[in-house]
Amino acid sequence: MCAASEGGIVIRRSNVVRASLLALATLTASNAGAQPHFEELRLIAPAAPGGGWDQTARVMQQALQRAGIVTTPIVENVPGAAGTIGLARFVGSERGNGDVLLVSGLIMLGGIVTNESPVTLADAVPIARLTGEYEALAVPVASPFRTLEDLLAAFKADPESISWGGGSVGGSDQILAGLVAAAVGVEPRRVNYIGYSGGGEALAAILGGQVSVGINGLAEFAAQIDAGAVRVLAVSSAERLPGVDAPTLRERGVDVEFENWRSIVAPPGITAEERARLAAAIDAMVRSSEWRDLLARYRWLDRYLAGDEFATFAAAEERRVRAILRELGASSTRGAADPYAAFVLAGLLLFGVAAAVAVRRERQVAPTRVALAWRPLALIGAGAALHVLLAESLGFIVAATVLFWLVARAFDTRHPTRDAVCALGVAAGSYALFAYALQLPLPTGALGAWL
Amino acid sequence: MGTLDGLAYGFANALTLPNLLWALLGTTLGTAIGVLPGIGPALTVAVLLPVTFGLDPVSAFIMFGGIYYGAMYGGSTTSILLNTPGETGAIATAIDGHQMARNGRGAAALTTAALGSFVAGTIATLALALFAPALASVALEFGPAEYFALAIVAFAAVTALLGPSLARGLFSLFLGLALGLVGIDQLTGQARFSFGIPQLLDGIDVVILVIGLFAVGETLHQAARRSRDETAPVQLTTFMGMSRDEWRRSWKPWLRGTAIGFPLGVLPMGGSVIPTFLSYFAEKRLSAHPDEFGHGAIEGVAGPEAANNASTAGVLVPLLTLGVPSSATAAILLAAFQQYGLQPGPLLFSTRPDLVWTLIASLLIGNVMLLVLNLPLARVWARVMFLPKPLLFGGVLVLASLGVYTLNRSLLDVGLLYAVGALGFAMRVLGIPLVPAVLGLVLGPMAEQQFRRAAAISEGDLTVFATRPISAALLAAAALILIAPLLLKRRRRAPHE
Repeated sequence: MCAASEGGIVIRRSNVVRASLLALATLTASNAGAQPHFEELRLIAPAAPGGGWDQTARVMQQALQRAGIVTTPIVENVPGAAGTIGLARFVGSERGNGDVLLVSGLIMLGGIVTNESPVTLADAVPIARLTGEYEALAVPVASPFRTLEDLLAAFKADPESISWGGGSVGGSDQILAGLVAAAVGVEPRRVNYIGYSGGGEALAAILGGQVSVGINGLAEFAAQIDAGAVRVLAVSSAERLPGVDAPTLRERGVDVEFENWRSIVAPPGITAEERARLAAAIDAMVRSSEWRDLLARYRWLDRYLAGDEFATFAAAEERRVRAILRELGASSTRGAADPYAAFVLAGLLLFGVAAAVAVRRERQVAPTRVALAWRPLALIGAGAALHVLLAESLGFIVAATVLFWLVARAFDTRHPTRDAVCALGVAAGSYALFAYALQLPLPTGALGAWL
Repeated sequence: MGTLDGLAYGFANALTLPNLLWALLGTTLGTAIGVLPGIGPALTVAVLLPVTFGLDPVSAFIMFGGIYYGAMYGGSTTSILLNTPGETGAIATAIDGHQMARNGRGAAALTTAALGSFVAGTIATLALALFAPALASVALEFGPAEYFALAIVAFAAVTALLGPSLARGLFSLFLGLALGLVGIDQLTGQARFSFGIPQLLDGIDVVILVIGLFAVGETLHQAARRSRDETAPVQLTTFMGMSRDEWRRSWKPWLRGTAIGFPLGVLPMGGSVIPTFLSYFAEKRLSAHPDEFGHGAIEGVAGPEAANNASTAGVLVPLLTLGVPSSATAAILLAAFQQYGLQPGPLLFSTRPDLVWTLIASLLIGNVMLLVLNLPLARVWARVMFLPKPLLFGGVLVLASLGVYTLNRSLLDVGLLYAVGALGFAMRVLGIPLVPAVLGLVLGPMAEQQFRRAAAISEGDLTVFATRPISAALLAAAALILIAPLLLKRRRRAPHE
C-alpha cells in the first residue's frame, strides 16, 4: 500500500515512513476499512498466555487483521505482578511509539494499589475501554445457602465463618467481596477471602465446596450454570441478565454494581495525530462485524468507551478500587510476623553451617583439592556479562554471538575462526527461529534498521 | 454413544489424510518446542490460535493435541543428552537419563523415554475416555488440606534424593525453600524478600532455577575441570537402541509411572513435578538395585517419563468435564474451544460426544505419530553428544539465554540465570545435590499456601488435616515413607546380630 512496504523494508522507528503513513492515515480515516490503517501494530498483553488480557490481545489481533485494519498485528506478552511490570515497561521504553498498544483493565488498578506501583494507568494515554464481564456470586448446588439472603445473614452473624473463594488477592473478585461487605455493613477487613492464583484453581475450589461461596467472572461459570452444577446467588450487573436465573445484587438490597472491564492504552509522548490514528483504528475495529462476532463467542460485553470519557471513568474506578483495597487491608500490614519464613531462614542457616563443617572435615581427612581452571570460568563469566549488557543496545544477534564465541573459547584454544563462524550462524539462526517462525520479537538494537 | 462406538466414530472422523497431516505438523512442532528450553506448549498454541481460525475444529484440535503431547516428548531429549531440562516435568528424567547418556546409553534412554511416553499417553488417553466424569468428581474432593498433605508426601519422598550427605542435601532443600519465599504472598498480597525489585514480585521462576542450576552450572563445571572425561561411544547394536535387559527393566516402570501420573494430573493443581518425582521415588524404592540410581538406572528414566505424559493427559480431565483449566496450556485450549463456540464443562460429553470422541481418537493418533517420529530420531539426537564441546556448550548457553528471555521478555531474568548458574557450579564443586533445591522451590510455596488456606477456611482449626479422610490418609502415607526404610533397615540388620 505504501512505498515503504513495496520496497520490502519493515519499518518501525523511521520518522520519514511514519510521516508518510500519517498522511495516509488521514486519507483512509474518511473511508475506514477500505485500506489498512497500520502496516504493523504491536499489542502488548501484560500477562502470560492464557489469561484474560492475553485473550483480549489475541482476539483484537484477529479482529484487526480480518477487518483489514492492521496488516500485521503482533501480540507480545510481558507478564508479571498483576500487569504492573508490563505497564512500567510500556510507559518507560515505548515512550513516543505510535504503533503499540497495551491491554489493561480493572485488575491492573488493583495491582497498582497492592504492589504500590510508582507507575499508574494515568501515566499512559487512554484510548478506549473495550469489554466488560459481570461477576457472579455462586455456590455448588449442594450448598446450604439457597439465596443471597441466606448467605448474607450468615455473613453478618459471623463474618469470618464465610470463606469467599476467587482469583488473586487485589483482583476483581476480592474487590467485589469487599464492596459487598461494605454495602451490608460488615467491615471489609473481616472478609475471609481465599485467593487462588489461576481461574481454574479457584473454579475447582468453588465447585468442590472447599469455600463457602465463590466469586468469578460470569462467563467462567457459564458451563456450570448450563449444567446445573452451581447456583448463582447474585450477579453484579445493574439489570437482570438474559439466560441467567439470578437476581442482581442491587435488587436484593446490596447497593453494588460492578464489572471487570478491559481497556487499551497508548504510550506517553505520542503526538495528537498518532493518538487520533490509534483511536481511529480501534474505532474501526469495534464497529467491525469480526469484532462483534468474536465478542459473542467469548461471551464478553461490548463496553466501548473512547478517549477522555474513558479517562474520566478509569480515574473514578481507580479511586473506588484504592478505597476498597485500603479497607480490605490488602496493602496495609507490612512486616508482620511470618513464622514460616523464619523457619525456612533458620533451617537454611543451620544446614548451611552443617554442610560447611562437613565439607571442611572431608577436606581435612582427604585433602584432594579439586583443581579448577579459572581462565575458562572467567571467559564464560565475561561472555554472560557482555551478553546481558549488549543485548539491549547492540541487539540479540551481536550479544549471542559474543556469548557463544567466548564460551567456545573457554573449551577450546585451537579454532577461533571456526568458533566465530558457528557463533554467528547459531545466533542469526536462533534469531530467525524466534523472531520469524515463533513470532517472538527479540531486541534488535543497532541492527534494528536492517531486520 | 458407547465407548467402542464412540472410539470407532472418532477414528472414522479423525483418520483422514488432511487430519493426519495436521497431526504430523502438530507433533513435529510440539517436539521441536519441547526441545527448546523455556518455550512451552502454552505459548505455541497461543501463537497458532489465530492461524487456525479458518480450520474446522477437528483439524485444529488434532494439531493442538499433537503440540501438547509432543512438547512432553521433546522435553526429555535435552534432559538426557545435555543435562538441561527445559521443562519442570523433565527434571527427574535428567538425573539418571544424563548419566546413561554419558555411559554411552543415550539412545537407550531416549528410546525408553519415547516408548514410556507412548505407553503412558495411550493408556491415559483411554482412561480419559472411559472414566473422565467420575474422576473429575473425585478431584473436586481435594481441598487445601489435601493439597497440603500431598505436598508433605512429596517432601517425604524427597528424602530419598538428598544424597549421601544429609547436611548437604538438607541445605540444598532449604535453599530452594528460601528462594520460594521471594515474591507476593498469595494469601495476603504482601511482597516478601523482593527487595523492591518489581520483577521479583511474582517469585523466582522455577524454569530459571532449573536451567541455571543444570545447563549453566554444568557448562561451567565442564569448562573448569582440567581433565575432561570423555563420553563413552554409543552402542547401537541392540533392538531399537535398547538391550533385552533394558526392555525387561523398562516395562513395569512405564505402567507404574502411568498409574502415578494420570490421577495426579487429574487434580487441578497443575505442574508435573510431583508426579514425576513420586514416580522416581517409587522406582528407586522398588528397585532391586537402588544403588544404581543416580548413576544411570533406566527405571529412573522410564518411570518419570511415563508419569509426565500420563499427567499431561490427566490435565484434560478437569478441562473437558468441568471446564477447569489447571495449566497455562489448558487455559489456552479452553480459549480455543471458545473460539469455536464450544464450552467445555459437565455437558460437553453429552451434548458434543462427536467432538469428544474425535479429540480422543486424534490424541491417540498423535501419540502413534510421535512414536514414529521420535524412535528413529533417538539415534540421531544421541549423536549430539559428539559435537565438539566448544560448539555444543556455546549452543546450550545461547539457547538457555533465549529460552529464559522469552519467559518474561526480561534481561534481568537472563542475569538471574547466570547468577543461578554460578550457584549451581559452586554446589557441584562442593558436592551439594541440585535436585532438592528445585523441589524446595516448587513444593515449599505449595505447602505453605495450602496450609494457610486450609487454616483460614477452618478459622484456625488445625484438626482439619486429621479429620478430613483423604488428608489424613496422605499424611499417614508420608509418615510411612519416612519411617518404613528405618524399620526395614533394622529388620535386615537384626539377623546378623
